[in-house]
Amino acid sequence: MVTLSINGRKVELEAPVTILEAARKNGIDIPTLCHHPALELWGGCRMCLVEVEKMPRLQTACTVRVADGMAVHTETPRVVAARKAILEFFLINHPLECPTCDKAGLCALQDLTVKYGAVAGRFEEGKRVFPEVVDDPVIVRNMKRCIMCTRCVRMCDGVQGASAIGVIDRGAGSHIEPFSGGRYNCEYCGNCLTVCPVGAVMSKLHRYTYRPWQMEKTVKTICSFCGVGCTLRLEVRDESIKRVSAEYGDGVNNGLLCGRGRFGYEYADSPERLKTPLIKRDGRLERATWDEALGYAAERLLEIKKSGGGAAIGGIAGGRTTNEEIYLFQKFLRAGLGTNNIDSIARLGLLPAQKILEGVFGQGAAANLISGIPHSEAVLVVASDPTKLNPVMGLEVRAAARAGRKVITIGHVDGLKRHRTHRLEAKTGPGQETLIMAGLLGELLKVKPLTGENPGLEDAIRQWEKTLPGPDEVEKAAGVAASLISATAADLKEVSTSSIIAGRELASSMDMRTNMLLLAALGYILNSRIFLISEHPNEQGLIEMGCSPDMLPGERPLEVSTFREKYEQAWGAGINPEAGLTLMEMIEQAGASIKALYVLGEDPAFNLPARGRVKEALGRLDFLVVQDIFMTETAAMADVVFPALCWSEKDGTYTNLEKRIQKLKKALVKEGIEDWRILAEIGKRAGLPARYRNVSDIFREIAQVSPIHAGLSFESIEEGGLLWPYKGKPLVYSATPYSAAQSSSVSTAAGGLYGPWAEAAWSGAPQAQNGLKLVLDKPLLHSDTLSTHSGALMDLMGGPEARLCPETGSKLGIADGDAVKVSTEQGHISLKARLESGLPEDALFISNNFRGAGAFELFGYQLEPESKTPVLTAQNLKVERL
Amino acid sequence: MTGVKVKYLLGNIDNPNSADIEEYEKAGGYQALGKALSMESAMVIEEVKKSGLRGRGGAGFPTGMKWMFADRDPKFPKYIVCNADEGEPGTFKDRIILEKNPHVLIEGMAIAAHALKAEHGYIYLRGEYPAAKKVLETAINQAQRRGCLKFPLHIHQGAGAYICGEETALIDSLGGKRGQPRLKPPFPVSEGLFGKPTVVNNVETFANLPFIIKNGAEEYLKIGNPECPGNKLFPVSGHVERPGVFELPMGTTLREIIYEHAGGVKGGLALKAVIPGGISTPVLPPDKIDCPMDFVSVPKWGSMLGSGAVIVFAEGTCLVKVAWRSLKFFERESCGKCTPCREGTGWLRAILERIENGQGREGDIGLLEDVAGNIAGNTFCPLGDGAASVALNFIRHFRSEFEGHIKTDCRKMAVGP
Repeated sequence: MVTLSINGRKVELEAPVTILEAARKNGIDIPTLCHHPALELWGGCRMCLVEVEKMPRLQTACTVRVADGMAVHTETPRVVAARKAILEFFLINHPLECPTCDKAGLCALQDLTVKYGAVAGRFEEGKRVFPEVVDDPVIVRNMKRCIMCTRCVRMCDGVQGASAIGVIDRGAGSHIEPFSGGRYNCEYCGNCLTVCPVGAVMSKLHRYTYRPWQMEKTVKTICSFCGVGCTLRLEVRDESIKRVSAEYGDGVNNGLLCGRGRFGYEYADSPERLKTPLIKRDGRLERATWDEALGYAAERLLEIKKSGGGAAIGGIAGGRTTNEEIYLFQKFLRAGLGTNNIDSIARLGLLPAQKILEGVFGQGAAANLISGIPHSEAVLVVASDPTKLNPVMGLEVRAAARAGRKVITIGHVDGLKRHRTHRLEAKTGPGQETLIMAGLLGELLKVKPLTGENPGLEDAIRQWEKTLPGPDEVEKAAGVAASLISATAADLKEVSTSSIIAGRELASSMDMRTNMLLLAALGYILNSRIFLISEHPNEQGLIEMGCSPDMLPGERPLEVSTFREKYEQAWGAGINPEAGLTLMEMIEQAGASIKALYVLGEDPAFNLPARGRVKEALGRLDFLVVQDIFMTETAAMADVVFPALCWSEKDGTYTNLEKRIQKLKKALVKEGIEDWRILAEIGKRAGLPARYRNVSDIFREIAQVSPIHAGLSFESIEEGGLLWPYKGKPLVYSATPYSAAQSSSVSTAAGGLYGPWAEAAWSGAPQAQNGLKLVLDKPLLHSDTLSTHSGALMDLMGGPEARLCPETGSKLGIADGDAVKVSTEQGHISLKARLESGLPEDALFISNNFRGAGAFELFGYQLEPESKTPVLTAQNLKVERL
Repeated sequence: MTGVKVKYLLGNIDNPNSADIEEYEKAGGYQALGKALSMESAMVIEEVKKSGLRGRGGAGFPTGMKWMFADRDPKFPKYIVCNADEGEPGTFKDRIILEKNPHVLIEGMAIAAHALKAEHGYIYLRGEYPAAKKVLETAINQAQRRGCLKFPLHIHQGAGAYICGEETALIDSLGGKRGQPRLKPPFPVSEGLFGKPTVVNNVETFANLPFIIKNGAEEYLKIGNPECPGNKLFPVSGHVERPGVFELPMGTTLREIIYEHAGGVKGGLALKAVIPGGISTPVLPPDKIDCPMDFVSVPKWGSMLGSGAVIVFAEGTCLVKVAWRSLKFFERESCGKCTPCREGTGWLRAILERIENGQGREGDIGLLEDVAGNIAGNTFCPLGDGAASVALNFIRHFRSEFEGHIKTDCRKMAVGP
C-alpha cells in the first residue's frame, strides 16, 4: 500500500504506479502528449511536468513512480508556467494551419494550447519546413506538424512489431520516415494514425471532406472482415462512413486494427452495390419490385419442394451474415422447406476442426480468450499465419515474443519471422506440418511426463506414441533438422501453460483428422489453450446457429430425437431426421438430386475450388436464389437476386473465434432490406409465421430454443460482448449412451471417447511432393472479393499476383513483374509474377481475391471422406511466361 | 593542499613508443592486473570503493558504488563499457590516453572485468578518433597475445553524435538502437547493454585503476583532495601560451593550471573569462580563478568540474560570439527526444546569432534568459541544461557586453587576440 498526496488530496494505491496513473485514477487530469498507455514509457514531450515536494526539479508524471509519503502538485504556478513554456516550444515550429488541418478538433496540441493559453509568438526566425509526403496511397505524412512524440514509432516497433518507421536525423531536424522512403513498406495497420496526437500522419481516405465536429455520429460496432471481432468506431456524415477508428480500451482489439479493418470500409459506399431485387427473365436479370421477387422466389421454392421434396433444395451461407440471419436461414430451410441440406463456408475448415477438438476436450474446446496469448509461456503457431488471417490476434503472438515467451512456428508463418524462437519449417514448402507435429509430439513425450489428469486420453496418446516418427525421419522427409526438433521439445519441457494457433491450412487436408488429433495431443501435453483461426467475422456463428446438415442451433445433433422434437415444437413444423448434404455434396448433386439452391451472402461460384465444375453445376439448377450486396459470380447466375444491406447498415450479432457474441450496430440508414427481413418475408410467403419486429425478437427466439444461448437477450449484450459459455448449457460428450435425463449430453461414436485416435494411427511419413506446388495465398490486405470493392485496399494491392521466390523464378525463367499464365487440369489464369525472397522454394502462391484470376480457377479438390471437407489439389501445374 | 605528486596517467608519454606493451611493462605496467587477479573480485571492488575514485566523465559519480550496484545484480552476463566518446568542446584528455598510453586503459578494463566478472568489454570510441582506433587495435592485440586480456574487448566506433557520450544513449547506440538517452530507472548497472548489468566508465576512470590496485587505496587517497582524490587530466585550450593536457592532482587551482602549467594568457593579455570543465559548465569571471579544480570545490565557486577542460578567453574576446558558437554546437547535437532541448537550443542560437550580427533588439537579453530558463531543469538529460547554462551564465557574468552588442555592432568593437 502506497499513500501519497496529490494537490493536497490523500491518495491510496495498491501498487506503485506512475504519478500520472495515480492522478488519473483519482480523477486528476495531467496533460500528456507523448505518453500512451499501450506504449513504452518515453518522457520526451515534458508536457506532464509536475511538482513533487522535496525534489528540486519538476518531474515527468508519466515516468516517475509514486513513493510512500510523496506530495505531488499538478497545477501550481510553476507547473503551469513550465507547461506554457513547453507549448511555446512546440509552437515555434508547429505550423498554425489548423483551419486546413483535418486533425483540428481532435488535436491534442490544439486542445492544450486552448487550455493553457496561447502564448504571444516570440519566435521570429521562420519555422522548420518539411514538404508534405503524399506518395503513399493511404497515409499522408506532414512532418511540419510532427511534435516528435514518437508514439507512431513506438506503436510500429513495440506493438505492431512491423518496425517500418523510425526517427530520421536529430535535434530540430528529427522527423519520422518509413525506412522504405516515400511510400510505406509495411502492414498498413494504420495504428500509427490512431496514436498520432496531431495531424502529422493521417489517413488519405476522405481527406479534406469533413471536420471532426461535423461528424453526425460515431458508432461503435464490430469489424466485418475476420473472426477476431475487433471493435471499430464508424464516424459517419451524410450517411457515409468518413473514417474508421479505434481507441485504446476498445474491444478485444484494445484499440488496435489491421489494414482491412481500418481502410477497407469503402465497399459499403461502392456504386456497384445492388440496389433493387432482380428476377431472371429470358436469361437476363431484370429489375423487379420486392413484392414480385419475394413472391416469385417463395412460389418457385414451394413448387420444387412439392415436386421433389425438401431434399431437392439446399442452402449455403457465408460468414458475414449475422447470427439472427443465419438462424432464420436454417429455420426457413428446415421448417419452411423441409430440408437439412444446409451448409456454409465453415465446412472449409473451422467446423470440422472444431468438432474433432470438441470430441476430445468437450464443447467450447477452442473458445479461449485472445488476450491470454501473451501470458502463455509458449505459443505454437501451426501452418496458418495469424498475422495475416486474424491480424490482431497475430499481434498478441508478437506481444508474447516481446515478453520473452517461446514462440514456435510449424510450417511457413512469415508474419512471425522476427518473433519466433524456434522455426520448424519444411524445406519442401507447406504441407509437411503433420509430419513435423508428429515428430515434435514424439520428442515431447520423451521429455515431458504425462500428468495423469486424463487417463483415457493418455492411454490413447501412449498407444500412438509407438508409431510416431523419430526426428531423423522428419529430417529426411521434410528437411527440418532433427536436432532442432529435439531442442524445441527440450525448450518446451518446463512449459506449464501455452497457446496453440492453427487454422484452415491444417484442416483442409486429407490428414485432417490426424492433424487435429496431433494438435489435441500437443495441446494436452503443453496445457494449451487452442485457437482456431476464423477467416470470417461470423464463421463461428454459422456453427452455433445450426448452419450445417447435421446440427441444430446450439450445436445440438440433429440425430437426437429429443433435440429435434424441441425445435419442431418451437417452430411448429416437422424436421427431417436425416442429415442433409454438405457444401460440396450439394454442388456435386446440383441438377441431380438438388434442384434449387438458396445462397445467403456467399459466392460459391467464386469461392469454391474447381470453379469450372462448380459453375457448371450451378448452371444445372432449376432455381437459384442469392442474397448479397454485390453482383457476385453466383448472383449473376441466379434466378432471383435480393440486394441486402451490409454490415454497417444493420443491427445484429457476430460470434468471434473466442465464441464471444458481440453486437453489430446500425450506423447508416440506407435504402434496402436487411438479410433477416428478406428471410422473414420469404418465410412468411412459404408459410412460416414471421413475428419479428427487429433482431431482438429473433435473438429472443434463439435464446428460447438454443440450449447454449438460454437466458440471453439482445439487450443484455454489452460492450465487450457475451463470453462463452454464455449462460446456457454446453453439450457434454460422454462415453455412456445418451439418455433423455441428460438433456445436454451425447455419446460419441462406438469405441468410446478416444475411438478416433486408433483410426488416425500414424501411418508413416507422407510422401513429400516434389516439383512446383500451388499454394493458396491469403494476402493481409484482402478478404474474399469483398475487399476488392474498397478503393484504398485496391490502391495498396490492386491485382492478382503469383508470388514465388527468386530461386524458383530463375528456375522457371520468370522475372519480377512478368506476365505469366498458370494452368492446371482445372483451368488457367493470367497474372503478374512477383518474386519475393524468403518464400519457400518450388511454391507458387496465388490468392483467390481477384475476379478473372482467382486461385480456385486452378485448384481442384478431393473430399476428406469423413468430414467432407474439400481438400485442395492442383494437378499438372504449369507456369509459362507470356 | 596537494600531497604526493606522481604521474601515473601520462608519465610515459614522452617516450615515442609509449603505446607499446613492452615499454608499458618496463615501466611497471600490468603488475596491477596481476595483483588484481590474485585478489577476490569482491576485494577489488572494495579497494576501489575505499579509494574514493570518482568517475572522470563529468558527473563524478563514485566508481566503487557503481561497481557495487552492478555486482549485486544477479543477472549475467555482465558487460563493461569504456566511454571513449569524447565530444565535449574543449575536451581532448581521453584522446591522449587512447593514443599514447592505451595499455593503462586496457589494464584498467581488465581489472574491472575481473572485479565485476564481466564477460565482454566494449570501447565506445568517438568516430572522429581514427588514429586512436589503430593504436587501440594494436594494443588490444598485444595484450591478448601476452595473455593480459582474458575476455573479448571490442572497439565500437561512434557515428558522430555528442549525445552518445551520455551513458544510456551510448548503451542504446552500442546495442544497435538510435542513440538517445533513455529512462532511468532501470539504471545501466541493472539493465544496460542488451538488458544486462553494465558498467560504463570513462577512459580516464579506467586509467586510474592500475595505480589504485598497485599502490593501494591509501596511497591513492594521499593524492589531491581527500574528498576527491587522485590525479586529473586538464586539457587546456584557448588563449594560453602553452595549450595541452596536464596531469595534476585534483584540487589544483585554475590559477595554477593557467599560469603555471599552461604558461599564462597568450601575449600577456588580461584574462577575460574561463570555462573550467568543457562548454556545458558555467563560465567563470577572472576573479574566480583561485577555485580548486575538483568535483567538490568547483560547484562552490559557481561552476562544475565537468571533464576538466579549461578554455581560456583573453581580453578582447567577443563572448557573445563564444556563446553563439556554443549554442550552435548544442543545437546540432540535441538528439531531439525532448521538447525544450530540441526546440529551445535552436531558438537560443537564433537570438544569439542576431545579437552577434548586430541585429539584436531591446528585450533580447530578457528573452534569452526566459527561453534558457524554460529549458533549464525541464529537459530529459543534462544536454539541454548545459545549453541553457551557457546562455544564462554568460549573461550573468558579462551582461554589459551583451547590452553593448545590442546597442553597437560587435564588429565595430575591439577585436580580440
